[in-house]
Order: sequence, then C-alpha cells, then structure tokens
Amino acid sequence: MSAQKQLLIIDDDPDFVDGIKSILVKANYKVDAAYNPKDGWAALENKKYDLLLLDVMMGRGAEGIMIARKLGKDARLRNLPVLIITSIREQMAFLFPGEAVHPHFVTVDELVEKPVEPKMLLDKVATLIKTAEAKAGHLAEAKK
Amino acid sequence: MKKFAYYPGCSLEKMAQSYHLSAVETARMLGVELKELDDWNCCGATAYFHVDELLAHTLCARNLAMAEAEGMDLVAPCSGCYKNMHACNAHLKKDRDLAEHVNFALEEDNLHFAGKIKVRHLIEVFAEDLAAVKAKATNPLTGLKVAPYYGCQILRPRKFEHENVEEPQYFEDLLGALGATPVDFRLKLRCCGAALIITNREAALSMVRNLLQNAVDSGADVIATACPLCQVNLECYQDQVNAQFGTNFSVPVFYFTQLMGLAMGIPTKQLGVGTEFVAPPPAMLAACRKTAVV
Amino acid sequence: MATTVTFSREIANLLHAAGGEPVSSCMQCGTCSGTCPVSDFMDVRPQRLIRMIDAGLKDQVMATRSFWYCASCYQCTVRCPRGIDIAELMYGLKRYTIWKKQYPEDLIGPAFSETFVKNIVRTGRSYEPVLATSYFFTLGLKEMLQEAQGATMLMLKGRLPVLPARIKRLENFKRMIKRIIPIGDE
Repeated sequence: MSAQKQLLIIDDDPDFVDGIKSILVKANYKVDAAYNPKDGWAALENKKYDLLLLDVMMGRGAEGIMIARKLGKDARLRNLPVLIITSIREQMAFLFPGEAVHPHFVTVDELVEKPVEPKMLLDKVATLIKTAEAKAGHLAEAKK
Repeated sequence: MKKFAYYPGCSLEKMAQSYHLSAVETARMLGVELKELDDWNCCGATAYFHVDELLAHTLCARNLAMAEAEGMDLVAPCSGCYKNMHACNAHLKKDRDLAEHVNFALEEDNLHFAGKIKVRHLIEVFAEDLAAVKAKATNPLTGLKVAPYYGCQILRPRKFEHENVEEPQYFEDLLGALGATPVDFRLKLRCCGAALIITNREAALSMVRNLLQNAVDSGADVIATACPLCQVNLECYQDQVNAQFGTNFSVPVFYFTQLMGLAMGIPTKQLGVGTEFVAPPPAMLAACRKTAVV
Repeated sequence: MATTVTFSREIANLLHAAGGEPVSSCMQCGTCSGTCPVSDFMDVRPQRLIRMIDAGLKDQVMATRSFWYCASCYQCTVRCPRGIDIAELMYGLKRYTIWKKQYPEDLIGPAFSETFVKNIVRTGRSYEPVLATSYFFTLGLKEMLQEAQGATMLMLKGRLPVLPARIKRLENFKRMIKRIIPIGDE
C-alpha cells in the first residue's frame, strides 16, 4: 500500500468543507483546506498534492475556473488531477435557467454537482488519483 | 485637437438624449473630438457587481479594449459608467491573473486588454481647460444661479491617492467660466438615491427631497448635473416627492453640457432643451432666446 | 464537527481580492453610519452590521436588508478612518446572498439586479422599460399608478425607447460571457 494521499480542497463554504473533509479523512486521506482562491493557490505552490477538489463560485465570481485554467498553464501543476464540485447551476439559475454546466474550455478531469454522495465522492477521488498515477508511470516509462 | 473614444452608455441613448446631444455639440465647439466607440456594450451599472464581479470586469474590459484598439483615452459622460470603467481599468492593471482571465474571454470578440489608456469623465475633460470654455462663452449666463451637483461616483471611491473628494471646486469653476453664479450647495456630494428609486422608493424620495430643499435654500435657480441617473431622479420624481412630503418643488435640473451649450450660443434644439419636465428659469430662458439670434 | 472558520473570516475570504483593510480592523467609531445617506432606512446600520459580522452572527447578517439598501455612494468608504472599503463589503454581501438565494423575498433589489443582468447578457445593452415591468408586480396600486404616470411623461417627452437596443457582435459577446460563467450550450 502506498503512502497516504494528500488532497487539497478549495471552497469558500466552511460547512461544506467540513462535511467532505470528514468523509475523506475517514477514508484515510490527508486533507488540507483553503477557503479562498488566493490561499488555495498559495497552498498549491507550497506543497505537493495528489488531487484538488475545487469549488467554482468563490470571491468575485466563478474563480474556480480561473484556478483550473492557471493550473493547466503551469508546468509543474499541469498533471494534478482536478475534481470540480460546484453548485454554479443553482447559484446562477436565474441567468441561465435549466442549462447545463460546460467548462469544456478548461481541462478538468471531472465535474460533479453539489450535494455529493459520499460513496460517489470516494469513488471519483480514488479513480482520478489512480488514473493520474498510471499516466505519470507511463510518462516515466517513456522517458527511460 | 483632443480626440477621445466616447462611451455614451445606455441612458444617453434615449432617456438622457439631451445630455448626449449637448455633450457632442459643446465638444465640437471646444475642438474636442468625441468619436463614439463602435459596438460598445453596457457597463453593467451596479447590478453586475451584485451578481458576479468577474463578469462585471469582463464587460467593462470589452469597452476598454475597443478604445485601446483605437488608441484613444475613453470618455464617459455618465458617472456610473465612468466609475465602473475606471475601476475595471485599475483592477486589471494591478491583477495580472484577472487580466489574463478576462483576456481569455475577450478572445471571443478578437479583443485584448493591455491597460494602455486612461478613463475620464466628460466634466473633467471640459473643466481642465477653462480658458477655452471662457473664450467660447459668448452668450454668458449672467445672473443664473446654479447649484453644482457632483453626486457620488465622479469622485468616489477615490480614483487616486489624496484625491480631494471632500471639497472639489472644478464644477463651480466651470460654471463661473460660463458667466453663471455657482451657489454654495452644501449637499453637492450627497447621493441622489441612484437605483434605490426602483429598489427602495421611500428612501430615494427622501434623499431627493433633501437635495431639492438644499438647492432651494441655497438660492439656486437650477441644478446642474453630470450624470443621467442624478438628473432623472432629481427632475422626474419631483411630483412624487411633492405628493409624499406635501412640498411644492419645481426645480429645473439640467446637464452641465446644456448650460455650456447655451453659454456658447448653440441653438436650444441641438442641446435637447425642451425635453425636460420642469421648464428653464427666467435667466436661462433669456439665454435660450439669445441663442436663436447668435 | 463545528467549523473553525469564523464568519468574519468567511467575509474576508469573499473579499479576498478587494482593496481596503479587513472588517476586523473596525474600531466602531460610527463614521460609516453617520455619513450614510440611507442609514435611516436600514434595519441594521453599517457600523452595527460590521459588529455583527465580527461577532459571527452569520444568520442574522444574511437575513439583513441593509446592504440591499446601499446605494453605492461610497461615502463610508472614503471616510472610514481605518481604511475599510465598506461599500465593497456591501457588494460582497449582495453577491453572497444572491448565490445562496438567502434574502427576504419581498426585497426588490435582488430581483432588479437579476433582471438587469439577464437583459444585458441577452442584448449587450440595458433597456429601461423592461426594467420597469420586471419589478412592477412588487408595487402597490398607488405606486403602480405613479409609475405608469412617470413612464407616460417620459414617453411623451420622447425619453423612453420603443425597442430594446442590442449590440452588433452579439454572438461573440455571448460566447465571451460563457468563458466567464460556464453555463449553457457551447
């Protein structure tokens, strides 16, 4: 069994963070939390994470999208798997009623909408980390 | 010749058309070219910032980027538009991540924000060359007592450090250059209620009443404004104020550009005079009559 | 498990990109309440609102109407001796309650803002008559008559547009918005 995986949550809702953090900690993950995009980015720069759980609507607006795009442009962080967890559709329902979320211009690995089922959350987290590791393994292999 | 990218804003399209007409006419007289920005979009007023600030910045940035492409500073006659555009310009220049993200969106319209231009309010542009204004004021507004109403967003929030936001004087100086007499209007910086006229009528009417009362008490014949929202609130809601408070206000409210135009002898029709609810005071009518023969 | 994030911290997170000093630096001098032209109409004046945030009274603060009565005149912001950008705080709270749909139902402010934004997102311009009708239903009979009278006067003076304006490159504009708010078909 490999070492404990290190996750980061960036979400402005303290109650929601508490909820999913306790689920993840029980499943033997190490979890850090940042409650605004600025602190979140600082954490990403200072520590190595295996996965990012990212909210969308924070601070000024859909700042989660800004972070996801910035990650994609960062050589070191580009391969960090990102799971977006959002209620943007509900939050902006008055503007685009009944329409789907489509962050296709951002390369995020997976997007789920709040509220999140604990089992589904754990499945997605495990799968994303496994896929990222396999990809990293292939890359290392190819380099040899 | 000074040349600017002119951003009229939604209100000037119709509701404040007299402001638009008089702005363009007086600028022409002063040798200032106002080139209307092609395909400009709404600045978002205050509503955007209530919902999504990133979107608010993006909408303003589209206008800024178009002015940049023309290589001209942007001039806005509406204080709300001016404040939004100015704030957006400052934010994007300071925050590179924000500018990068907004530029990503602007790509959809083949535009790019680089932060190369300044954002100005129309009254600043006119007030910085009083000699030119004086030289053109051949039909001085002698005897007309004017309350210079600055309102809020021209001055607030501060646009630069140590800006004098408590005791500005340029509006008075501009009126003086037209031959008019600026009165000591104590509430000249007090809010007109802005969008509260819709979202909290009771509060806004009371704010309008205070301003009208102060203008009357200070002996003004007319209030001069530099913002369409201020103009509409102060003028068009006087009936409601009177009904609400048992007052009897009938205070004319004109744009500073209309007064400038009159003083320059521009025919009243070209200044949109005639679309107001409250007729001009006698001293102004005298000037209006003279424009017909100037 | 109770959260370790105080409400004051939550507000600081919301305003992480805003200028000005944190709300927690308030010394309760009351300049904001004294200078605010709307404070007589607020259920909670700015000074007390800040104190409530500092005390962590989240539910009470979110249920307050006072920030929806802020006219964005920025008098508090320029006068605050501690350099707190109070008007930005009001904007932040408006945003937060819109996202969470946590505002008193009879408030006109949120409906007005939403209608305004919807209109611009569809046309690129704002359109006064649509704005008028959107909040019409919230008015009483007397106000409704006053409103109709006012609109008729503006019409007679040629000061209300008959048709909504729209920008030319509207399709580009709409795609631009979707890059900022990722909702809707691509």
